[in-house]
Amino acid sequence: MSSMEPHEFKLTEEGLKAVLPPLEAEIMGYMWDVRVATAGEVYEKMKEKHPDLRRSTVSILMNRLCERGLLEREVSKGRGGMRYVYKITTTKEEFEQKVVESIFDALMANFKEATFAYLSKIKK
Amino acid sequence: MLRLIAFVQLLLVVLYLGRIGLVGVFLATLCLMVLYLWVTKRSLDKIHTPLKYEDMPWLYDSVARMANRAKIKTPKVYILEDYIPNAYSFKDSIVLSLGLFEVLQENEILGVVAHEIGHIKNKDTLLFPLISYGRYWMITLSMLTLFSFNLRAILVSLILLLAYEHQRVRFFKKREFMADKAALYVLERPFDLKDALEELSYYEDLRIKVKENVLPGIEPKIERKQKKVFMEMHPPYDERIWKIMVEAAALDLMGKLN
Repeated sequence: MSSMEPHEFKLTEEGLKAVLPPLEAEIMGYMWDVRVATAGEVYEKMKEKHPDLRRSTVSILMNRLCERGLLEREVSKGRGGMRYVYKITTTKEEFEQKVVESIFDALMANFKEATFAYLSKIKK
Repeated sequence: MLRLIAFVQLLLVVLYLGRIGLVGVFLATLCLMVLYLWVTKRSLDKIHTPLKYEDMPWLYDSVARMANRAKIKTPKVYILEDYIPNAYSFKDSIVLSLGLFEVLQENEILGVVAHEIGHIKNKDTLLFPLISYGRYWMITLSMLTLFSFNLRAILVSLILLLAYEHQRVRFFKKREFMADKAALYVLERPFDLKDALEELSYYEDLRIKVKENVLPGIEPKIERKQKKVFMEMHPPYDERIWKIMVEAAALDLMGKLN
């Protein structure tokens, strides 16, 4: 299983927050819009909604998203010197597809008959 | 004190092992010197990039200004490709990790640089390796005393080794405070170092919280593999911040009196 696949699904949460912690979901939401950004740029954007947010939080969470396989980090050498830039590894649609596949794989592995019964019911 | 402990250890080896002990000490010293030279030659690798003026003029100029205030040669600055905030100095150079630029603001980075300039000014970049290698020297000499087959000599040697370790930790902590103090004199705004330490302290606390609380189902691998530290060389952030505040207040008062 690749690391970008979700490992948890929270039934009570909406959207990306069902599979990612809230701040990470917000960061990914922004990253899917811009595709490439530095942690500083993400921090500036996030600060508009969370004025108490600190740079450290954004940096730690973005590196965590790299470990999950949703972002990748690379060194950019240009004007302003070296810095890390973060890029998305998958589109939002691909990620959502992965979420659905993972959930159905888990349901089929654990509750095969009930899943089939439900699917045939909703198909009708 | 460290010199005295090392000297007594040397005497002990020579006293109980005679000429063989002396040869052993000579060989141990020679090996450690070769190791030191080999390690320092390889201290800069591909992930260290020298800072150029055009990269970050604000940093380049500030380093030169602070070095001038500290009355030392302008240190070379290297950027290390590591996302975890980190800074250290060796010889007359300062290394800053890319993670530092992600977490700290420009003035706070200058606070960290000032601390490293403090280490260079206080000759810690020379003393720290010497004392660290002195530890291996002490261990080697303690092992040599085993060949004396004299229980008293072996016990004294072990006590000396423990005393060296204790003094080494004390020495390193004291030098950290001294580097902080030196930094306050070269910084335009002394509280920049305090602000940097507060943010770095927050970063480390958060790393632990992320590891413990968030999504227990997923192993957070962003944690750098941490060595279990037997004796912490750095004083706690809180203690450093408190001392900086006291020193900065004293500096401010002196400035007003003058």
